Amino acid sequence: MLGSVAASFRPRFGLLADRDFVEVRLGGSGGQGVVLMGIILATAANHDGRCVVETESYGPEARGGYSRSDVIIAEAPIDYPKLDNADLLVALSQDSAQGYVKSLRRNGVLIYDSEIVKNPPAFAGATIGLPFSLWAKEETGRIQATNVVALGAVARITGVVSIQSIREAVSEAVPAGTTEVNLKALDRGLSVDPAEWETDQR
Amino acid sequence: MEQWHSHLLRERVDQSSLLIQGNRACALGALDAGVTFFAGYPITPSSEIMEAMAEELPRIGGVFVQMEDEIASICACIGASLTGKLAMTATSGPGFSLMQEALGYAIIIEAPLVVVNVMRVGPSTGRPTAPSQGDVMQARWGTHGDHPAIVLAASNVADMYRLTMAAVRFAQRFRTPVTVLADQLVGQMRESFSPELVGRYRLTSGDFDFTPGYIRPELAPEVRPPHILGLDEHPHVTGLFHDETGFPTNDPDESNEFLRELYNKVAHHREELCLYDIKNEGKGRVCIVAYGSCARTARAVWRLAEYEGLPVEVLHLYTLFPLPVEIIQQVARRVEFILIPELNLGQYAHEVRKMAEQWTTVIGMGKIDGTLFTPRELLDRIAELTGKYESV
Repeated sequence: MLGSVAASFRPRFGLLADRDFVEVRLGGSGGQGVVLMGIILATAANHDGRCVVETESYGPEARGGYSRSDVIIAEAPIDYPKLDNADLLVALSQDSAQGYVKSLRRNGVLIYDSEIVKNPPAFAGATIGLPFSLWAKEETGRIQATNVVALGAVARITGVVSIQSIREAVSEAVPAGTTEVNLKALDRGLSVDPAEWETDQR
Repeated sequence: MEQWHSHLLRERVDQSSLLIQGNRACALGALDAGVTFFAGYPITPSSEIMEAMAEELPRIGGVFVQMEDEIASICACIGASLTGKLAMTATSGPGFSLMQEALGYAIIIEAPLVVVNVMRVGPSTGRPTAPSQGDVMQARWGTHGDHPAIVLAASNVADMYRLTMAAVRFAQRFRTPVTVLADQLVGQMRESFSPELVGRYRLTSGDFDFTPGYIRPELAPEVRPPHILGLDEHPHVTGLFHDETGFPTNDPDESNEFLRELYNKVAHHREELCLYDIKNEGKGRVCIVAYGSCARTARAVWRLAEYEGLPVEVLHLYTLFPLPVEIIQQVARRVEFILIPELNLGQYAHEVRKMAEQWTTVIGMGKIDGTLFTPRELLDRIAELTGKYESV
């Protein structure tokens, strides 16, 4: 069927792994690499042999302003390409956490950077704050790797994409010469210990 | 970011393993159809087409030129076309406005080329990062005078590839500019390029054949044989009405014949130009007629309507002009309502109304806020229409 590796099944484990139709919203501010995150996530889902649509929306500013990427992952071709209700919101800025939490389904998952989102919005579903930007600095010395750290954690926690596919997608998408540092960042995200976040679930 | 090599990607296109942006798929379609010349000027949300052509054309011995503006871009394409090259340019609303005069020139001198307009909200600079379908009538009547127009509309990434290829073939066969309309959503989205996404491109005469020799490459009978510059001929090329020799004519009979032939070479070939797909054929009381990104909402409605017990047909148009008169009239004769959602204030609905209102009620739904119709919005309108009918 679909996908380059459809023949070889890639296992996925996590909070959202069993949903056949998953809507993901990635939010942050311009310059954080939110759109690239969306591309990497979509590429990984494509490698998993699923159907994907990725759309993006950003303000006219070069830096700052809002930036958003929506990824829909499904088992069948996707007609309506826009996000309806999110199963997963990944927020890398206070504004996006606050603004987009309304778009989350009640049984959705909110993941945010606890270093940046100081006042996490009230949400009844699974709410997980992790210090992605701190980890990025510690692990790679570059805060720019925050988006890739977050992707690692997203793959580990939610299972919307497989570990193998996200690793391949990061290698394909990042600029030449930065593969090593980005894979290091990804591994930091992937190494998130379930014990670190399970306590946060309500 | 997004480094790619078209020869590798092309091998993967039909293996359905590709996640690609709409604009890049458009460039790929053009290259696969044999486009070897691109002149353009960057503009959101079409710039990635130009970027892809800039990367790829030099590798295959083609020519890429970044021009000083859109007027120069289309003029360079016309020049290339006159030397026998397959030429293309891509732009958005503001650039498309600038191209209108030269577009008329290309039509009258019968220079084949492809213009891609990835629409954003206008008029003027408008909203560069929001989708719109506001240039539909401009694509038909943007340049002055009675003229033919072939206008295609892409609704997904697969369309961006396939319809661009079709546009190149139509341009070659009818020796006229062909406009491909996309919008910010379709142009900048990335999606899995799967064979299932390629709609069934139908013609009233049967299925459209997309195999390599898929459209007769020879000229349509009405088309005058071209003079190719640089082949030791010395053709005369002018935007004035001209006779067989290419020199101007003011003779009423010759002028009449000249313009009618120019117009009819497209109008008389609707059966091989009007691409469409129809879902739930013959089973609806309401038919949604949609194109471009709105067709995606319409297709979602088609799937949902069954659950909700609503009798809905969906006519998805890939060719907007020449007007698909036959298929729209067939539908109009059997449904009670035709609903046309568009990201403008009813431009195409007016065209459909002219053809269909003697048989059915044509209702336009316009949206200009830069967002797409949701399936719910259309379903609610349909429930309202059909319910209203029941209670009368």
